[in-house]
Amino acid sequence: MHPPRLGYANLGLGVGLRTVHFSHILRHQPQVDWFEIISENFMDSGGRPRYVLEQVAERYPVVMHGVSMSIGSADPLNFDYLQKLKNLAQAVNARWVSDHLCWTGVAGLNAHDLLPVPLNEETLVHVRERVRIVQDFLERPLVLENPSTYLTFADSTMPEWEFLSRLAEDADCGLLLDVNNVFVSSVNHDFDPAEYIRNVPHKRVVQFHLAGHTDCGTHRIDTHDGEVINPVWELYRLAHRLTGGASTLLEWDAKIPEFPVVHAEALKAKNYMSERLGPIPSAPTAAPIAAGGVSNPVSFLVASAADSCAMAAP
Amino acid sequence: MNPTNPPQYAFERIQRWMQAAVMHPDGVAAGMRTDEARSAIDADRPEQVVTRSKALTAMERLAIYGNSYFLRLLECMREEFPAVAHCLGAETFDAFSNAYLQKYPSRSYTLCQLGARFPGFLVETRPPREEGEPAVSWPEFLADLALYEWTFSEVFDGPGVEGRDVLDEEKVRAVPPERWPDARLVPVPCLRLLPLRFPVQEYHAQVREEKSPSVPAPAETPLAVVRRDYVVHYSTLSPLEYRLLSSLVAGRRVGEVIEEVAQSPGADLDHLAANLHDWFQRWGSLRFFQAVEWTDGALE
Repeated sequence: MHPPRLGYANLGLGVGLRTVHFSHILRHQPQVDWFEIISENFMDSGGRPRYVLEQVAERYPVVMHGVSMSIGSADPLNFDYLQKLKNLAQAVNARWVSDHLCWTGVAGLNAHDLLPVPLNEETLVHVRERVRIVQDFLERPLVLENPSTYLTFADSTMPEWEFLSRLAEDADCGLLLDVNNVFVSSVNHDFDPAEYIRNVPHKRVVQFHLAGHTDCGTHRIDTHDGEVINPVWELYRLAHRLTGGASTLLEWDAKIPEFPVVHAEALKAKNYMSERLGPIPSAPTAAPIAAGGVSNPVSFLVASAADSCAMAAP
Repeated sequence: MNPTNPPQYAFERIQRWMQAAVMHPDGVAAGMRTDEARSAIDADRPEQVVTRSKALTAMERLAIYGNSYFLRLLECMREEFPAVAHCLGAETFDAFSNAYLQKYPSRSYTLCQLGARFPGFLVETRPPREEGEPAVSWPEFLADLALYEWTFSEVFDGPGVEGRDVLDEEKVRAVPPERWPDARLVPVPCLRLLPLRFPVQEYHAQVREEKSPSVPAPAETPLAVVRRDYVVHYSTLSPLEYRLLSSLVAGRRVGEVIEEVAQSPGADLDHLAANLHDWFQRWGSLRFFQAVEWTDGALE
């Protein structure tokens, strides 16, 4: 048994909290180890989403996962945003706060995408300083995720695993190892995903992400819209062995099925927690081929009033 | 990846270049040619900045981000304005949204603000009036519908008063009549008053029921939108009721507001007198106000 990484315990197998499942979760209180929330979906909410989150947080451990810190941007850090993040973390007793190694915009704009960072000494220094500032401000170690990427830069001088390893060691932060993202990026950039998994600093891996993606033939897109495919499960098996296990979360953000289906997909991870071949899962051996897809689907971030409105008599 | 050569560009320039490319509505090739992109990196070919993979060129890889940018944000706009999207049809709605995103690209960390300026954008970009066109026509319908949908979202997820005391009917009744003229009413933060020119709430409700409503005829439709127990409600108001409520929500004294309305040209005093009591009771039952306060600072 490994000691908790950065003081962050292994919470078990969790599921991303999504609006379409609110009613099911409140009504049935399913036996889920923990929930991950998208921070931006709740930090300004004064309505039902926040109300539901408070009830969930009373019963389950909650982890906050953000998409807008923009830690790799050339723009200044947004301390108003960070203050709201900190307030929410305190309010829901977040076990940790994570975001991505990416930038979301520059010159004041936000593309609402997880854009890739050139991987070189200049950006390493830049991101390292910003991680330190954020950690001082939040008064807790930050956990950073490897995003799925679709291009690399001529100016990059090191592989992503090396960048993340040096960043984590220098800034003393944690890592959220998204196994599906490693696989997607490995296809898109022609590298060996197992080499990536073998080389990240295992003692700094606080959490894993798992998700489905789309095979577009020439490249893969991280669409979070289906089951985890077998090659990704096998990478998870490797990552689990090398790290000794860490909190694991399944993301399902588009074409979201009923909650029990999502939860069952997360529980498949148990089959890959040993060297022996577990029961054969129902996941496909190859991702579905499709014409395209939207990376990092985010429409679920827009608070939906659809389930919650009514009319009063004039 | 080039482990030996020093980087050619500062990463800030790469980011400005890439952003200009992926946010351009005519594609990344057009985006690369803009002054904005060239002021960051004057690249004739994307290979100067982006590497190719075995399967895709640098331009094709850059285009994945460009395509996703618009698809992702259009999906959010459709989620936020389903009735406007229904009214316009998918293709026209996407064209309007694309133009909107060009003029008002997101500057917020949250997508919840993406549509904030869309109702105003529809007003700003109204087509020039044709000769003989009525003062209120379909562009006004669209603008009202967008305003209503945006208001709905704001009220749904904004601050509310669930679990807190509000000025209900009983508390309205408990106020001594002689104290009303000096009273001010404190609105709940989840109350919005909309002076609509079309009954868009009916159109909106039918779209939600997956029906295919026609654009209604113009009709002055003063509306109150409020949230109770995390559910958003609307109530139609009479023009006079709307006028009174607007002034009260602005923080003016009850006596002052009633006097002003009573003395206005053409005021129907009988109508006012006959309804005033019922309106206050109704506003209590609909939870429009949190409290009543007096200039001496007392709260009820």
